[in-house]
Amino acid sequence: MSKSTILSGTDLSMKYGDLEVVKGVSLAVNEGEFVCLVGKSGCGKTTLLSLLSGLEKPTKGRVNLDGREITTSSEDELALFRRDNVGFIFQSFNLIPTLSAWENVALPLFPIKMTSEERRRRATELLGKMELGHRIEHLPSALSGGEKQRVAIARALINNPKIIFADEPTGNLDSSTGEAIMGILNKLHKEEGVAILMVTHEDELAKTANRLIRMKDGEIMS
Amino acid sequence: MNLRYMLKELYYQRRRTLMSILGLSIGIALLIILNSLSSAYRQAAQVPLKEIGADITVQRSGDVPKDLAGAVFPCSAVTIRKEEVEKIRKLPGVRGIGTGLLLWVFDPNRAWIVLGIEKDNSIGPSLLRSSVTEGRFLEDGKPEALVEQAYARQFGIKLNDTISVADDKFPVVGIIDASRAAKIAIANIYLPIKEAQNLAISSKELQSVSPYAPGDVNLLFIKADQEKITGLASEMKTILGNKATVATPDSFLKLLGSLFALSDKFTLAASLIAIIVAVLIAFKTMAGNIAERAREIGVLKAVGWTNRNVVSQLMSESVIQCFMAGILGLLIALVASFGLSFMKVNIPIPWEMSPNPHFLPGGGDQIFKTLRLPVHVPWNLAFFAILLSIIIGGVTGGLLGRHISKIKPSEVLRHE
Repeated sequence: MSKSTILSGTDLSMKYGDLEVVKGVSLAVNEGEFVCLVGKSGCGKTTLLSLLSGLEKPTKGRVNLDGREITTSSEDELALFRRDNVGFIFQSFNLIPTLSAWENVALPLFPIKMTSEERRRRATELLGKMELGHRIEHLPSALSGGEKQRVAIARALINNPKIIFADEPTGNLDSSTGEAIMGILNKLHKEEGVAILMVTHEDELAKTANRLIRMKDGEIMS
Repeated sequence: MNLRYMLKELYYQRRRTLMSILGLSIGIALLIILNSLSSAYRQAAQVPLKEIGADITVQRSGDVPKDLAGAVFPCSAVTIRKEEVEKIRKLPGVRGIGTGLLLWVFDPNRAWIVLGIEKDNSIGPSLLRSSVTEGRFLEDGKPEALVEQAYARQFGIKLNDTISVADDKFPVVGIIDASRAAKIAIANIYLPIKEAQNLAISSKELQSVSPYAPGDVNLLFIKADQEKITGLASEMKTILGNKATVATPDSFLKLLGSLFALSDKFTLAASLIAIIVAVLIAFKTMAGNIAERAREIGVLKAVGWTNRNVVSQLMSESVIQCFMAGILGLLIALVASFGLSFMKVNIPIPWEMSPNPHFLPGGGDQIFKTLRLPVHVPWNLAFFAILLSIIIGGVTGGLLGRHISKIKPSEVLRHE
């Protein structure tokens, strides 16, 4: 692995019973790079994202994330690794409905010994960057789709990750809100130097990335 | 465990929280009420004996007098020898003995129930001292009598009258209301035990049926260590023979005939059922609640919560809910106990312990001690119920938390 590679997957395969969803895929993402994984629904891109981010273990192959082989780690080791190094953005935001915006952002910090004030300070600062400083006490039910996704982005950034995994982050948003979210992700990648691996089925969105990887039937096409 | 997250989850999911709390609280309330009722019946069963300051009463049945003339023993209470009393006194666990001598005295014009009492012994009928309504209680060494109020009224006996009992004369020094105090060992006339013993010694009819010597008695009132009462009862039967009647709180409990009084096993079984119902309710409602949160758990794990973090969070929520259910269950039980404490219970007094000649009009009627059921929630039961709620919460939350924490975040987060 070269110095600039933050993430690499080698010969990754994933089988559910007889169905092979990911077939011997190898790919690498460099530090600060914005990579888009594009393909039709069911082509295996979300599964590949799960394998690369350590949410799931591959049936075969290895994943190296920030210099660490994660495929042999235990479930709890992976959780701790994700907490310290990785950010996630999901299509349906996945905010906790009973927690306010700032508490959702601070969710990864809850198990860490830290004062509530410190958690709130860090979460509020990020929400300010997302232009949600006036919505910190609001529950997700009181936020618009775009606001929810910005809260989710702030949550992904709370632990200063080296890489963010984004699974269809604009899938549940209208086009203008989707563009705004893409703008934030581009800004993050350019200004903060955060590597982003984004899954999408929209070619238009993928054009903003540094690199495009096309998937079809569990394999990388280009 | 994050307190803020836990409290918000319980607060914003009020309906879910309330359902869990209500379900479990009913089981806990049932447990407390059942045990409080059982304890109340036990306490009620002690009342007839406690009223005469005893834990055990002992008498021995014998033959029926052939001729009802002069002083005779009721056939349910014949001679207990002085030596037998001493043997019983020496039994380990016996803390004190009071004695009495119960006689039926048939004079040409009336029949008396006469009870000779040890006026200074705190165990036994001398407790009637506080029931004197006119005059005074018995004094040392004087041949004098107390007359029961209802009997005095019926036969026009007044304070300072002189009554003749089996040809012996006794001045009436006091009128007492025995019915207010006790149902056991009540009589028409109360004499110093020595005077009653003199009546017994001089009665040929009594001697022919049940030989009697000075110092013998026919009623024993015994104070004993609570935990030894059952064992003592059987030892006393061994000393006095198979005709002995030994009354203990347990024998009254059996007479009550209530399900709660039947046995400790019933209460134990009913309590176990209540606990199992409570656990099942808690488990079912919480399992449903946690299953609804699978996606949320997936998010927690995705953002870096370990299995242990997830389990401890869910466990703390469960413990708090069950603790609140315990408190609510206790409150329900307190209200129910207050309502139940107005319930009256009739404790039947066995005919052997009834001093009335059963062949006289009304003498065979069943006597009852009627009292309000002393239902209250003992603090140790309340503490146990709360502790049990917390344990149920911990176990339920722990088991369900462990189960749900094993889900793979990718499985629950992939389906949008």
